[in-house]
Amino acid sequence: MDAVFQFLFKYQPLVFEQGDFVWGSSRWMSASVLVATGIAAYALFTYRGIRGHSPRDRAIVITLRLAALAVLAICLFRPMLVLKVAVPQQNFVGVLLDDSRSMQVSDLEGLPRGNYVRDNFASADGQLLKQLSEKFVVRTYKFSSVAQRLNEGDGLSFTGTGTRLGDALGRARDELAGLPLSGLIVVTDGADTSEGALEASLASLKAESIPVFPVGVGDEAMTRDIQVSRVETPRTALKGTSLVVDVVVTQTGFAGQVFPLVVESEGRVVDTQDITMPPDGEASTIKVRFKVDEGGPRRFKFRVPEQPGEQVAQNNTREHLIDVLDRRVKLLYLEGEPRFEAKFIKQALESDPNIQVVLLQRTAAATPSAPPKFLRLGIDTPDELIEGFPITEEALFSYSGLILGSVEASAFTAEQLRMIAEFVGRRGGGLLTLGGARSFAEGGWGGTPVAQVLPITLEAGANAKAGSYFSEVSIRPARAGTAHPIVQLAATEAASLEAWRKLPPLTSVNLIQSVKPGASTLLTGEDSKGTDLVILAAQRYGRGKAMSFPVQDSWLWRMHASMPITDMTHHNFWQRLLRWVVDGVPGRVEVTMSPDRVEPREPVTLTAQVADKTFQDVSDARVLAIVRSPTGVVTEVPLSWTVKRDGEYSAVFAPDEEGPYEVRVTATRDGETLGTSVGHLRAAPSDREYFDPFLRSSLLERLADETGGQYFRSSDTSKLAEALTLSGRGVTVVEEKDLWDMPALFLLLVAFAGGEWIYRRARGLA
Amino acid sequence: MTMTATQRTSAAFIVASVLISAGLTLEAQRGGRQRGDGGSANVRLESNLPYDGRFTFVRVRYQNFISRGNQWSHDYPYGERHFMKILNAVSLVKPYTDASNVHTFDDPEIMKFPIAYMAEPGYWAMTEAELAGLTAYVKKGGFLIFDDFRNQQWDEWANLEMQMARVYPEARWIDLTAEHPIFHSFYDIDDLNVIPQYFQNYGIPKFRGLFEDNDPTKRMIAIANFDTDISEFWEFADSGVRAVGETNEAFKLGVNYIIYGLTH
Repeated sequence: MDAVFQFLFKYQPLVFEQGDFVWGSSRWMSASVLVATGIAAYALFTYRGIRGHSPRDRAIVITLRLAALAVLAICLFRPMLVLKVAVPQQNFVGVLLDDSRSMQVSDLEGLPRGNYVRDNFASADGQLLKQLSEKFVVRTYKFSSVAQRLNEGDGLSFTGTGTRLGDALGRARDELAGLPLSGLIVVTDGADTSEGALEASLASLKAESIPVFPVGVGDEAMTRDIQVSRVETPRTALKGTSLVVDVVVTQTGFAGQVFPLVVESEGRVVDTQDITMPPDGEASTIKVRFKVDEGGPRRFKFRVPEQPGEQVAQNNTREHLIDVLDRRVKLLYLEGEPRFEAKFIKQALESDPNIQVVLLQRTAAATPSAPPKFLRLGIDTPDELIEGFPITEEALFSYSGLILGSVEASAFTAEQLRMIAEFVGRRGGGLLTLGGARSFAEGGWGGTPVAQVLPITLEAGANAKAGSYFSEVSIRPARAGTAHPIVQLAATEAASLEAWRKLPPLTSVNLIQSVKPGASTLLTGEDSKGTDLVILAAQRYGRGKAMSFPVQDSWLWRMHASMPITDMTHHNFWQRLLRWVVDGVPGRVEVTMSPDRVEPREPVTLTAQVADKTFQDVSDARVLAIVRSPTGVVTEVPLSWTVKRDGEYSAVFAPDEEGPYEVRVTATRDGETLGTSVGHLRAAPSDREYFDPFLRSSLLERLADETGGQYFRSSDTSKLAEALTLSGRGVTVVEEKDLWDMPALFLLLVAFAGGEWIYRRARGLA
Repeated sequence: MTMTATQRTSAAFIVASVLISAGLTLEAQRGGRQRGDGGSANVRLESNLPYDGRFTFVRVRYQNFISRGNQWSHDYPYGERHFMKILNAVSLVKPYTDASNVHTFDDPEIMKFPIAYMAEPGYWAMTEAELAGLTAYVKKGGFLIFDDFRNQQWDEWANLEMQMARVYPEARWIDLTAEHPIFHSFYDIDDLNVIPQYFQNYGIPKFRGLFEDNDPTKRMIAIANFDTDISEFWEFADSGVRAVGETNEAFKLGVNYIIYGLTH
């Protein structure tokens, strides 16, 4: 194509792109040509005497002659291209070579990308380097996370753990500032891993008129690769919790095949699932289920074993840190009437070392002369709850979860009702309300502050008469809830649904049919009349969450004649449900780290949220982080109030060593300790480079377009040197290139004149 | 005047007992109503209530291993009726007061009522099917109250032990003292010596419990009122046969048992 173009138009397309088009004739010449053309044209028009001409023939002939005349005129006007051409050896060119890990990928006919870079740019025999050196003074740099000069004898190792294009270009620009620079060549796959966009670098390059000539190395898509693209894990989990984690897998070249997805923790396999590969280039999300049984910071690896022929093996594994909390979380369970539900819930949680249920059981109502009678089970101290339900925020907020059984709203004072709402909203606790004769509308809860918190709708006016509704309910997971861990009765979704079908129906005395917008329904039920009921619903409220379970006898899942003695459904359901109720409930001091996995010397932001005993944010505390490195070196990092948010403190810290770090944050005020929180982070070389390592053509093209350069593929860089020469930057000389003698113009002239002659001949005109 | 909790509830008892006595005496005057007195061949059984979540008293029916009596039905139905009325009056349990259930251990419906009462376990015999039912019942969380037996013609205690050993071969019945939580679950019963004795010449009633893993700090699976007959006091609460004070103690025990069984 280019050869044909050059034959017709005398020069390469690049010359036309870079050059400015001008008319070269002088004023006098232009005037004379115009006059002569005018006379000739007039002569043609008056040449009408030929007999037998039809109007159409005449029109065609005249057009052809005028066209030929026009071409002649163009030639006489002397069209030219004016170019700025770099003066040889007077200009500099920066060559930036990508030295990062993604250059190890072998997708250039089975050879690593790095080989191309070495052969062409880094060795003295490099063809391209020689070409460039003839015309320019070449300065070479290597870059990955940082950029530096590449001197004689330096090697390229392709082990850089990040790619920062913007920073590299900026560094080269800075070093070559003040020198006549024709342009910057960047040899890379464009897999930039820096968090910011290239905008800032682009802007400064444009401002200084430095064109960038990217050379793209590698394939735009992998041909044979499996990648674990993303894994969503919680930051913390209570020991003994069953987690459901989403894993996103993409692949090319293995569509439809089945491979195992392995979840490992500290070298031990905790779950394996066979997954079918999605179509090429598409993503598939798999839910893996495993129980976190060991306390402390645990590394979990999500891995698809490397398959033969894969271009990149390192992106088959993703590692995440989950802090498994081995602590005893306390819930307060208030039952308003003695009933079997309380007994069996307690029984289910008895063997759980991490959940403590304190049962405050009301056994007799208040009389005019005596307060209500309570039984207190599972208390820590003899005076815990001695006055009944807590009357101070401090007492109530000392629990992480609150379960309200069959108890009417009028059993509480207005202040206590408000406190229950604040327990969820401000303290961030978990609330669970159960069904019963004194619950929900039947218990007068409509219109109370607690009704606002609940995920189900309770109309204030419609407080039903107790005893008006009763039905057997057959229960199944709601569509949205099928994957939720609480509702999982078996290892797979299909087996779980089957298990739900086999469970005996329960009964309900509360007719709950709708949830609030933003709430999720996890279980639905059908009553004896076929009406759909909401059986388990949840929503976030303020800093906490609220759940409602309007059945009165889930204990039938234990006692019913159809349930074998060894069946653990009831037991597992309640352990999971209560774990979920208290999941993520904050302590008075909570520390987070962002990100929680960095490279050594990369900064980490430590953030702590501090509150007092009533969970009011505290902005005047002294907050100190004790950071312990993998080798035991202890550093003190004070955190300061961020000002933009009450109770929020932060500091920046950069780990020096590789390995796990423990960060223990303590907040004190006036000599009193408000609380402590422990977090973990890991410093290790990043493997970002191996994920999605395909060639980013669009990024590199954009880089070229915006700076006035040009994008090349590694397969064809023959025009690179010339493009630099014609970039018009640096020390240049103006060249004029004539276009009047283009073969194209000559061919056009011949075509029009000859065509006219042939037409006349064919039509029998003179 | 302010009253302590104990005084208050004792007063409630007395009032309730009097009212009930009055009401039931009137009924009894109508005459001819059969009292479950054992030994007679026929017991007029009322039909069972279907399960609906509300507390229902359940009495266990069984075949005797000897003679053809209806020992299981001693004090039926008035024992449980009066008892449920008291339970309803003093606590927040809202049981059925005009009806109760009778089930055998091999009846799947019994599983919906995790507290059950058995009279005269000295006569108790179990088929294999009943054994399977009983095993499931107690192992899944059921609670049993054994009442009304003494070593009259044979070692009735041994019979109870033997039957329960078919479920728990390793089980040991443990003598209970007043410190056990079951005697404080609603009323505080600090001295077991005040518990009334129905039978003459059998000394002080003995209370024994069967525990999970034979560990008295764990859940009590069954309680046995040996050498006494608590439900007899319940049955005759309306007749003045027994002293009010003693009847009160019998009701207190019953209420404590139910509250314990609903919370442990």
